[in-house]
Amino acid sequence: MTAVGGRHELYYDTETALRLIDGEVRAMTDEPQRATMVSCGSLHGTAQSGSTLAALPFILERANDEIQTVLGNLRDSRVALESLESAAVQKLQQTSEKLREVTSATEVAATDILDALDRAGTAVDALEVADQAGDKARAQELRDELRGEIFGMMGALQFQDITTQQLTYAASVLTDMESRLILIAKLFDPNVASSRGVSHGPDPRTFDPGATTRDAEGRQALADEVFVVR
Amino acid sequence: MKFLVVDDSSTMRRIVVNSLQRIGFTDTVEAGDGQEALARFDASVGFVITDWNMPNMTGTEFARALRERGEQVPILMVTARSVREDIIEAMEAGVNNYIVKPFTPQILKEKIDALVSVSAGVGG
Repeated sequence: MTAVGGRHELYYDTETALRLIDGEVRAMTDEPQRATMVSCGSLHGTAQSGSTLAALPFILERANDEIQTVLGNLRDSRVALESLESAAVQKLQQTSEKLREVTSATEVAATDILDALDRAGTAVDALEVADQAGDKARAQELRDELRGEIFGMMGALQFQDITTQQLTYAASVLTDMESRLILIAKLFDPNVASSRGVSHGPDPRTFDPGATTRDAEGRQALADEVFVVR
Repeated sequence: MKFLVVDDSSTMRRIVVNSLQRIGFTDTVEAGDGQEALARFDASVGFVITDWNMPNMTGTEFARALRERGEQVPILMVTARSVREDIIEAMEAGVNNYIVKPFTPQILKEKIDALVSVSAGVGG
């Protein structure tokens, strides 16, 4: 049962049960008046009072059934809430981990690029010395080294694609949490969030929830193993 | 040989195209998703490098569409996805080899060389 379906059913059953009980309580409240009528010798009043008393066990049985149904629905709602809470906590923990990884990947990439820039600067200085000394072989070697550093810096920027996927995953979890919180809030107030739209999550085809910059070599080895085996 | 590079990240397309140039392949065409790639694919394309996660049409859907058209072009998947089930799914979609992001130019060269030599062997 969904939380919304359970809530509607619960409201309906509660209302029915309360109406039934209310009706019976009113009928019982009327009994003293009927008793008075009996004492005044009204045969009609005697017959009506006897009929109500005879029906009382059935009425109580029905009321008990209704109360059991209401309690059952309350239990279902509690289970639904517990399941929402459990899923929410797990997803939020994963998201928190992803966001920490984004911070780490960004820092690693920035450090790699800064290191490469330092090496490139040193190579440029050495290139000047080689040019002044007329050492063409050394100059060529340094130019190749510089090209390698520049290319390496470009490769380090791959982190951007992966962190984008990690952030998109985090956005999808936040949208999911919003929907779940609205469901819970609606259990207590059906008017919650009815006046505003619910956010649309990112297209799940555009990101991999497991995207990571970690252990690229190990993951590549797995891919190679699969393609060799098959 | 003309390379079709498919990725929704312009940064990644640029990195792949630059890597290709560095290893000697300068003829490239780019697409932002599988749908665009399918429209850009023609007989002049000799090699496809595609990402997996993209809007409109994913890399595996694109690979499957190419194979259903009877295209034998080598397809290299370059993606962040790296669980075994995903790798097998890509293979079953018609992908010939698989690179996990982030990758090095050496890995890219190895995979391209291997696929080109297999392809040449089949053709010859």
